[in-house]
Amino acid sequence: MSRLLPLFEWCDNTRVSVAIRDSRVLFPVIETVHLFALTILLGTTIVVSLRLMGVTLRRQPLAELAAELAPWMDGSIVVMLASGALLFLSEALKCYGSSAFRVKMLLLLGALVFHVTVFRRVSRADESKVGPAWRKAAGALGLALWFGVGLAGRGIAFLE
Amino acid sequence: MLPLVEWLYHTSISVAIRESSWVFPIIETTHVLGLSLSVGVLFVSDLRLVGLALRRRPASELWGQLKPWMVAGFIVMFSSGALLFWSQPIKAYQSVFFRAKLAMLLLAALNAAVYHTTIFRRINEWDDAPVPPTQARLTGWISLALWAGVIAAGRTMAYTL
Repeated sequence: MSRLLPLFEWCDNTRVSVAIRDSRVLFPVIETVHLFALTILLGTTIVVSLRLMGVTLRRQPLAELAAELAPWMDGSIVVMLASGALLFLSEALKCYGSSAFRVKMLLLLGALVFHVTVFRRVSRADESKVGPAWRKAAGALGLALWFGVGLAGRGIAFLE
Repeated sequence: MLPLVEWLYHTSISVAIRESSWVFPIIETTHVLGLSLSVGVLFVSDLRLVGLALRRRPASELWGQLKPWMVAGFIVMFSSGALLFWSQPIKAYQSVFFRAKLAMLLLAALNAAVYHTTIFRRINEWDDAPVPPTQARLTGWISLALWAGVIAAGRTMAYTL
């Protein structure tokens, strides 16, 4: 990890980083945007995942539900990544020393890969072609990964 | 009201939450992630109400199916929120952002009550409409705006307490 230290130091010293740290309102505003996007991302993830698990909206065709909510999921992921990157820049050195941050980045990578591969494919596939056990597993894993990202994110603020 | 919040501040539960180094973070994390089940799922329902998504299925079906999850989410939010308030009642009471948050919560409840006692009663007439009637769409937009305001005020409170 120590070879990455110069990179984190550079991130901590960009003009954007300094501007966010010097402003009293920028960090809370960016954090609020991050939280708006979290609400939309986790809300839509809950709805699609519960449908995958077969516990709600069983009369709605799964592929239609997933396709209609996809722009909101993908859009909120983009907003979360952009606002998250700004928050990171403003406290890159703090993140360097935070184990919660490392866990969050690993879970985020896992969640993103899972989202664009398994989750998208299983939720948009013809329901007769994917077994209910696979759908349940995909729904549960998607929920676990994204909530894990959120949990670790809170950990950055609260843990050492 | 001040004597009441001062009394709350000195109750043993308030002191216990304040003095523990891990109880507050756990309640706060529950409150933040609970946003997804309460406002997040409500957001999906509001998208149908304003006519932006899921237009091919009846509005009542989406509402009926998502309602138990939202109710569970709001129970989590109100109980965790009450505990957070309990731990810092004086500062919260004096915070303009807390007051704004409460006012917007009341308006959101009023918005929902008006909707459910008027146009929701006639949902049979517009259940299958891809774009619901004006009053229903207005309810959805007001709900989206108020909940965004509640989240913003809540987040700002945390920075100013």
